Amino acid sequence: MQDANVTYEELVPDYEFSPVNYDLSEPLISKYLQAVDISDGGFVPPMAIAAYSLQAMAGALSLPPDAIAIHTSQEIEFFKLVPVGATIECHAKVARKITRASMRMLVLELNVFNQDKEKVQSGKTTIVFPG
Amino acid sequence: MLTEIKQGKTIPPLVKHITQEKINLYAEASGDFNPIHIDESFATSTPFAGTIAHGMLILAYVSETMTLAFGQSWLNGGKLSARFKESARPGDTITINSIIDSITEQNGVSYANCSFRCCNQKDETIILGDVSVRFSAD
Repeated sequence: MQDANVTYEELVPDYEFSPVNYDLSEPLISKYLQAVDISDGGFVPPMAIAAYSLQAMAGALSLPPDAIAIHTSQEIEFFKLVPVGATIECHAKVARKITRASMRMLVLELNVFNQDKEKVQSGKTTIVFPG
Repeated sequence: MLTEIKQGKTIPPLVKHITQEKINLYAEASGDFNPIHIDESFATSTPFAGTIAHGMLILAYVSETMTLAFGQSWLNGGKLSARFKESARPGDTITINSIIDSITEQNGVSYANCSFRCCNQKDETIILGDVSVRFSAD
């Protein structure tokens, strides 16, 4: 496990970002529900969890100030309902890194666990940074 | 929710209008303050020539479409694969169209396999993808 704030150049396949915990409090989820304009079903929307896990990774990645990260594809699988008020732990790992003259690409594996260490979600994110 | 889950069944489309205010709200809710989403002067100077919505905001609408169709089966047994083709922009009206392509069974568990397409008001494809939902065939 490495410390946070790593640069693109320092990333290698299998690099693991430090896990990040989120407290999925009622105010946090209410804010999300309002932003996406969807109804409250009593459970945390799975895309909220995916968004937080992505943000956990992004917060640890240091990019040049003018770099634009383009999200090009996303895979997600949901395993368990997550109630509002739960705490989740987000893990991210570099699955692939491709560097070309005109672009840089990262494929990241994301896994999210609840407070009982049960996997609630997994996914794969592809991000491209024009070179 | 769908009353019948069968091959060829169209899932009721979801229509959402994108505004800069919604994008800003999503940035605050998700913590993604990438300036390409929220800083109009910065975004104008990029190849995007203006702000764009977060891809995950549009995927939240896809997820809502599936939640309305499949209920909790989607929330605890859903799987999604999406490819972002174009950007959604403030002023766009996004429609999520989806259909059940097949029903499969594996180890006694049924799955509805669907494809979806998010398009804007000009019928340009914003996101293409597939979902799979585990459900009870009873």
